[in-house]
Amino acid sequence: MAEQERIVVTAVVPLDYTYNYRVGPYLERYIQELGGKKIMAIKCGGCGKVVVPPRKVCGECNRVMDEWVEVGPEGTVENYTVGHVTLNKGLIEPADPPVTLALIKLDGATSFLAGEVRGIDPADLKNGLRVKAVFTDPAENSLTDLDHFEPAG
Amino acid sequence: MERKVAIIGQAQTKHSEDIGMPRERMLFELVKGLFGQFGITRHDIDTFVLCSNDFQVGRTISNVFEDTPVGAYMKDETKVEADGVWAVTYATTRILSGIYDTALVVANSLGGSEFRPYLIMDYQLNPTYDRQLGFLNELSTAALQARSYMDKYGMTDAQLDMIAARLLRNAAKNPNALQAKADATPGYVAGSDYLYEPLRKLHCYPFTDGACALLLASAEKAKDLTDNPVWIAGMGDSIESYYVGERDLFRSRSTRLAAERAYKMAGISDPMGQIDVAEVSTKFAHQEPIICEALGLFEEGSGGEVADKGLSEIDGEMPVSPSGGGLGAYPFSAAGAICVAECFRQLTGSAGDAQVANAGAAVAHGQDGFCAQHNAVIVLSKEEG
Amino acid sequence: MRNVAIIGVGYTPVFVSKRKDVNIVEMISEAVDAAFRNTNLTPEDIDSITFGNMQTFEGLNLPHLWASEHIRALDKPTIRISTGGTTGMSTLQAAYYQVASGLHDVVMAVTWEKQSEGDSQVGLTGIVMPEAMVMIQHGMDLFGGRGMAGMGGGSTGAASYQAMSYLHHSGASPEHIDKMAALERTNASKNPYAHLRKVTTVEDIQATPFISWPLRYGHTCPTSDGATVAIVASEEKAKKLADQVAWITGVASCTSDPTTANLIEGQLTDSAEQQPARIASEKAFAMAGIKNPKKEIDMAELYNGFAHQSLMWLEKLGLCKEGEAHKMLDKGALDIEGELPTNASGGVFSTNAIGASAMNRPAECALQIMRKIEGEHQIPKKVRNALAHGWGGLFQYVTVVILSDEPRKAK
Ligand SMILES: [Zn+2]
Repeated sequence: MAEQERIVVTAVVPLDYTYNYRVGPYLERYIQELGGKKIMAIKCGGCGKVVVPPRKVCGECNRVMDEWVEVGPEGTVENYTVGHVTLNKGLIEPADPPVTLALIKLDGATSFLAGEVRGIDPADLKNGLRVKAVFTDPAENSLTDLDHFEPAG
Repeated sequence: MERKVAIIGQAQTKHSEDIGMPRERMLFELVKGLFGQFGITRHDIDTFVLCSNDFQVGRTISNVFEDTPVGAYMKDETKVEADGVWAVTYATTRILSGIYDTALVVANSLGGSEFRPYLIMDYQLNPTYDRQLGFLNELSTAALQARSYMDKYGMTDAQLDMIAARLLRNAAKNPNALQAKADATPGYVAGSDYLYEPLRKLHCYPFTDGACALLLASAEKAKDLTDNPVWIAGMGDSIESYYVGERDLFRSRSTRLAAERAYKMAGISDPMGQIDVAEVSTKFAHQEPIICEALGLFEEGSGGEVADKGLSEIDGEMPVSPSGGGLGAYPFSAAGAICVAECFRQLTGSAGDAQVANAGAAVAHGQDGFCAQHNAVIVLSKEEG
Repeated sequence: MRNVAIIGVGYTPVFVSKRKDVNIVEMISEAVDAAFRNTNLTPEDIDSITFGNMQTFEGLNLPHLWASEHIRALDKPTIRISTGGTTGMSTLQAAYYQVASGLHDVVMAVTWEKQSEGDSQVGLTGIVMPEAMVMIQHGMDLFGGRGMAGMGGGSTGAASYQAMSYLHHSGASPEHIDKMAALERTNASKNPYAHLRKVTTVEDIQATPFISWPLRYGHTCPTSDGATVAIVASEEKAKKLADQVAWITGVASCTSDPTTANLIEGQLTDSAEQQPARIASEKAFAMAGIKNPKKEIDMAELYNGFAHQSLMWLEKLGLCKEGEAHKMLDKGALDIEGELPTNASGGVFSTNAIGASAMNRPAECALQIMRKIEGEHQIPKKVRNALAHGWGGLFQYVTVVILSDEPRKAK
């Protein structure tokens, strides 16, 4: 029997399965409406909050939310960060130019939506900045049909 | 509650970037060492509460490979899949039920050498939306939370650096910490690279391999095993909304509710006066004021002032994370259990260079989720109460 | 310890292969809503929540975080339990301990799986992944026939070793597996919450192909999407909140070593031995004050991913003598109308949303005791004590819950 040449000390196991997530009726409609350049939110009949992206349950009110309302396409930056890195499968990679990420309160919504603000010097990104949604044209029937935001006006 | 539960002992690995041995051996040696402290064997343990995470381990039902190394063969065992602090609350619950007298908690992960912590966090995102878009991740959400607190209360970047520097100095007094620097200054922290503004590399937890074991017992059993038990006086936990766009990120509602529950159970009405030391699970420096304020240890929005005045130093008015906390080491699944273990070290007077004088009551904290969505609090005391 | 009862159960409206119409948290919320409906409770009545599933199956880490609103957990204590196939029962046991300890009065246990969104066989084979990769590095062809057998070939391959050993030791014949399979599938046809609901004959089973001798395709469980919720309460609260309850009188779990699985680490022990089942059941019987389980247990819900296991578990759990289970089957004792109705629901064998599978066992026992079974599988005789069993890990982990029509007597 041949002499053992090496000892395995590390077993490298890529964990790369394919999952097929059903998005459910709320996100389905949201995505469809994006194709018509409309951002649809859902309103809670209990507390009146308007959330986007839409979902089924308002946990606070123990209610199924079912009133659809259009919000945006303009909104206000409520919080932001400039990313000098991005994460790719959990690994840090430099971001050049930096990523300008904001939490945006769309007009008519009560929740903040995360989105990228383009067409702006990172140093100019501030709370209170007015921004508007830019849609993919033609639409691709995907979440990324709401492509990014840019300064309004 | 008719019963009282005590922590009898703790053991931790020397946390590292690469522990250099298989998980099974790490756990075997850790638990063997803990049993050795008390001259007991696995047969003295009634129930085993393990804490690990299948994503982190990279295999389904990860606990089955830990059972034998920790001594659970042919024994009662269960697994909590969350931060280790929940394993401690669950083990305590099991003893309180009266069905068990002793419990062993073993929490671990190899985030330094075996998996990518930021990727594991990505797997916590709503896969139908947030994970598709990629805006939210461990660092961007933390940065938004930091910005929210700093904007709301006027805490400066320099004050944020002071928090991180203090934790790195504390970590240098903890023989098990991984990220440490005895002479860390705010300038040293500010010299590290930006990740997502305002967070720099040294505001963040290090990727850590590590494990923590805790031995718990009912009052009767505790007195057989040790003269120096630490009592679990209260515990509580609470979860809030997943949606970061719907939360006040500058405060921690769930930590506040968790603390209220724990303090009520422990009979604590004035945490500032009654708590002597806190070990807080902070993944990022800015989380320390948010969590400590929710724990009632400082006034809301006082993070900058606390840093300026050094109130949370080991010899300060309210020492926070003498161990270095999450900045010193953050093994996922074990981090909160380590906070409990560090409180145990403080209350038994065995915290070495990091020892807080006259510590009689401590609070430990653990978290899960983006921007600390889910928090648990345990109050520990030298008094049986 | 305080007495604890199951006061209500909620299932998703169906358990099927693919719930394409809802996402994960929407599906879970259906079972939560059903539990509230069935108990007339609201989230305000719930003190704490326990939550469990097999996370790698959906590629979702700590899913209780995303689900917090949909399971009505906001501002509540929440804990996530995951022990493999037994997760559902481990999650119920966590709820039990929270009430027994006096920490909480009313606790909701939420369990689920949406297997259609991932690949469960990949997920299960993931148990042995690191070892498998080491073997690949040693030049072994894992994906050829022999390699796949070594790795277990998913769970069916591993189960075939167990079935072989069981047949050898018990004296049962492969036809008994067919017969048990037909009985349980037919039971499932009466259960509106079962997945495979077709009246099935022994001949139907025998017409299915072998996967790995002695197991046929017709001996294996489906993969399902579904969720199950149980609400437990203290004695005081239970009496206020519910007319019908089922008392949890015994709980236990036991683990052995993963080498018992006969997978990659070699045949060190026999995977049909299942010592943990004996240890756990004896402990649970003692806690419940059951001295003669063969007489005192009126029904069983057993975790059977494969049809031979129902027979095997009856013996290992002390509900009949070794080698007797197939004789009881032949006598009709295991039928819904028999002496020891076994998997009247159709078992895991007919419905398998894994995270919920070990919860459905005590949930079914509770509904039988409360006589609240929807569908045609209500056991006609009075059920005083029922045994619910969970099995999982790497073939080496067992949980048991005993449910009774009366609370535990204080010692
Ligand atoms: Zn509402």
